[in-house]
Amino acid sequence: MRHCRRLFAKLKNLFGRGRAEREMSREVSAHLTLLEDEFARRGMSAEEARMEARRAYGGVEQVKQLHREERSILWLEQTFADLRFAARSLLKSPGFAAVAVLTLALGIGANIAIFSVVDAVLLRPLPFQDPQRLVRVFDDLNGAGAKDVGMSEPELEDLRDRAGVFEDISVIFPASTALSGGDHAERIEMLGTGFDYFRILGAQPALGRVYGPRDAVPGFTESVVISDGLWKRQFGGDPHILGRRIRVDEDGYTIVGVMPPDFRHPGQTLERDVELWAAAGFKASPFPLPIVRSARLLPGALARLKPGLTIQQAQQHLDALAAQLAQTYPKDYPAASRWSLRLEPVERSFTGSVRPTLLLLLTAVGFVLLIVSVNMASLLVARSSARMRELAIRQALGASRARLVRQLLTESVLVSLAGGLAAMLVLALTKESLLALMPADLPRLTEVHFDARVVGLACLLSVVIGILFGMTPALHASGADPNRDLKEGGRSGIPSARQNRFRSALVATEIALSVVLLSGAGLLVHSFWNALRVNPGFDPNRLMVARIWIPVPNNPAMNRYQTASQIAALSREILRQARNLPGIEEVSVGTANSVPLVNNFNNRLAFSLPDQPDSAQKQRSAEFAAIGPDFFQVLRTPVLRGHSFTEADTEKVKKVVVVNASFAKQYLIGRDVGQRMNFGGADWEIVGVVGDVRHDGLDSPVTPRVYRPLYQGPANELAVFLRGSADSSGLRQAVTRIVRGVDADLPVYGVRTMPEMMAASLARRKFSLSLMAAFGALALFLASIGIYGVMAYAVSQRAQEFCIRMALGAQPRDVLLLALRPGAVLTFTGVALGLIAAQGATHLMTSLLFGVSPADPITFVGVPATLAFVALLACWIPARRAVRIPPVAALRS
Amino acid sequence: MPSEGKSRIQVLQGTLDLIVLRTLHSLGPLHAYGIAARLEQVSEDLLKLNQGTLYPALVRLEQQGWIKGKWDKTENGREAKYYAVTKAGLKALGEETQRWRQLSGLVEKLLGEGS
Repeated sequence: MRHCRRLFAKLKNLFGRGRAEREMSREVSAHLTLLEDEFARRGMSAEEARMEARRAYGGVEQVKQLHREERSILWLEQTFADLRFAARSLLKSPGFAAVAVLTLALGIGANIAIFSVVDAVLLRPLPFQDPQRLVRVFDDLNGAGAKDVGMSEPELEDLRDRAGVFEDISVIFPASTALSGGDHAERIEMLGTGFDYFRILGAQPALGRVYGPRDAVPGFTESVVISDGLWKRQFGGDPHILGRRIRVDEDGYTIVGVMPPDFRHPGQTLERDVELWAAAGFKASPFPLPIVRSARLLPGALARLKPGLTIQQAQQHLDALAAQLAQTYPKDYPAASRWSLRLEPVERSFTGSVRPTLLLLLTAVGFVLLIVSVNMASLLVARSSARMRELAIRQALGASRARLVRQLLTESVLVSLAGGLAAMLVLALTKESLLALMPADLPRLTEVHFDARVVGLACLLSVVIGILFGMTPALHASGADPNRDLKEGGRSGIPSARQNRFRSALVATEIALSVVLLSGAGLLVHSFWNALRVNPGFDPNRLMVARIWIPVPNNPAMNRYQTASQIAALSREILRQARNLPGIEEVSVGTANSVPLVNNFNNRLAFSLPDQPDSAQKQRSAEFAAIGPDFFQVLRTPVLRGHSFTEADTEKVKKVVVVNASFAKQYLIGRDVGQRMNFGGADWEIVGVVGDVRHDGLDSPVTPRVYRPLYQGPANELAVFLRGSADSSGLRQAVTRIVRGVDADLPVYGVRTMPEMMAASLARRKFSLSLMAAFGALALFLASIGIYGVMAYAVSQRAQEFCIRMALGAQPRDVLLLALRPGAVLTFTGVALGLIAAQGATHLMTSLLFGVSPADPITFVGVPATLAFVALLACWIPARRAVRIPPVAALRS
Repeated sequence: MPSEGKSRIQVLQGTLDLIVLRTLHSLGPLHAYGIAARLEQVSEDLLKLNQGTLYPALVRLEQQGWIKGKWDKTENGREAKYYAVTKAGLKALGEETQRWRQLSGLVEKLLGEGS
């Protein structure tokens, strides 16, 4: 109680300092008067009494100081005094303050912006119960070099019943689906799951219930769960939605639950967020029967580990299980395929692809902040040069070195806090537009928040940075020797040569840091340039694609597009009408995985080449796609050998395939078309080899690919390719109208032009490149300001010398070179140091490069050359001034 | 220098507060000079202190709410800040006296044992 009371009184005094100080002085002088009166009464003269009173009282200033220490919190009071002083001195030089706050705001702002994204995407645990126990399970065929090949239902059962490491396991099967209602069907993103899916995630619905193990049936259950987005968009947020019947892929379902707005499936999807969850046993129609262990039709599984198990321990159990299964079913798991089961934390498989990019950006902003700090340190040294006299006087008056350092640090921390505050303000105001700049396919983007964590980091960063960049200049400045500095800086506050040497070291550091940052940016620019120049394998100009989902009803009898001839009839009718659209010159068709540049799910399938002698031992795999006639002609993909398909290649004639050049290079060594290959239980003849098409994105390597004729097998998704001059928005409606005319239950989606898709394919790369380039430019700018400042000073210091040289007959050119020399030395030292550091640093970003080595000669010559050029330009401006100073003026000053 | 003053106050810490409180209690409201004069008188110059060293004690006591200062005129018409014991101060005086007696008794006892 009494301590609280004292603390309160102390705080009151802290803020009412003036009042307390006046009151104290009044009391002290009253006390002295009383003492004087007393001594006068004893017969002393007025003067004697005054002296004696002082003696009896003790040192007035000491007493006052004791009083202050007792009544208030001294260190806080001093800090407030320092802050007041710092604010005053900053306001006196608004130019310095503005530059300082602005650069710090940029540095700190960039850091907290990137950090808030990294925090949301990589650092924060997934918003599920015990997320560290959530894992993905993958099948790999190491012998064929194929990862994530999907799994079969029997394998899933083994994982559930025999592995002994999972609490629950569920298939996750992203799929398109047609939601009927109104006058046409809409394609929505669906996730087929096991019955335990929601239990694994520990997710609760916002409305109704989620399905669970008691809903288990062999095929699809009737109960489905929808997303908040679909609920609002399609059903107007109807509170009585539960129990509503909907038609999905021709089948009737009942909505039993709505998920909360922030619930998202923690994994890759096809196009956008999952909007419909449906559970299935995957053991009955529409899933193919009979079930074959080696037909891995399920894309993958999500599971929850038993408590107390590490991933490594669980992986050991799975390795044992895989070995056991391979022994039990040697026909399904040939030794050459080296089949294995792999566990990965859900978090990593969900956000792993953006991890290197985000970490690179985080490192880069860290460098930016370092450069900003070094720049600030250099500015502060220049500033403290001007204040050398003030500091020397303070020291002469008895300020301790620690006290001076504290005062200077208060000033630098105040500046950086102002910068941090400005950064937070700007970020808070522009958050939405900044987020819109992020590539849309970044996972967990909706979880990026500007919250207490970020604000806390900004404050912490400001203080740390303030101390960091303030410490060296403060130590430096406070090390002033009053005797020397009052003389040296006595006349006009010109900085000492000692300080300029220190600034030079700082600037060299700045240049070195800039080299590292710019090298990173340079490598990304070069990679992007390479990606842009990549031959996509087709001509994207005036080429458009529209996708059509073909529903897969649970009852095969309901499926109107089950056979190859039904698909062929549908395709031919759509193509016939599309060909007549105004502006359209050529059309073709293919399956979903025939669309270029779309990062399709990895769907490598194993095949064998019966004509090759080692066929039994060697495992081979390739991606597959089905295409219609004229596909390569419409895409302008060259047929290198043999021929492509024609209208005549239907299921009634010989089964044929075309392979890409990568396939031929890898598997048809020394052989030509006419080879047989075996997959899906049938023999096919390779009739042609075509050029490589970039199906997985411009900057993804081309994989061996097999094209089969669309009209020779079933398909559940079509992609219509149109070449012509029609614009994409008009085309969307035209194609949609055609398809609806043919069958209103087929949804059309993803109508896009190829140039749009090429841009989307490079969106992430472009994003990281733009940021790195911006950071690099900022670094270059700051470094050139730094070197300019140092050089301007050096030239002004030597102006007299230069004039004397000129007066004695030196040519302007000689003087210019003389003036440039220190700048050049500084620049080259910085560049050399930076190059060494950059060589090490850029090796860490290998995974982000495309067609460029981390020691890319273009980057490592171009970047230093650019930097040296800019830095020398910054030197040249003051150096040129040196030559132009009128000798008389310089000699007089 | 402050450091010397501090060590001295530390020796007197607590005691000085108690003495001031007790003085104010028995003599009624007094200014700092009055307190100092009284201390010199009572201690018969054994306790030689600069009068200024009273201030920290006064600040402490006032911040704790045990005494309250008020500006007034002396008999000679000079202005001075008079301190008076508050109700809380009265209660504290009782407790602190009690504590001091216990402590000094204990110290006395221990010192007695040794001889």
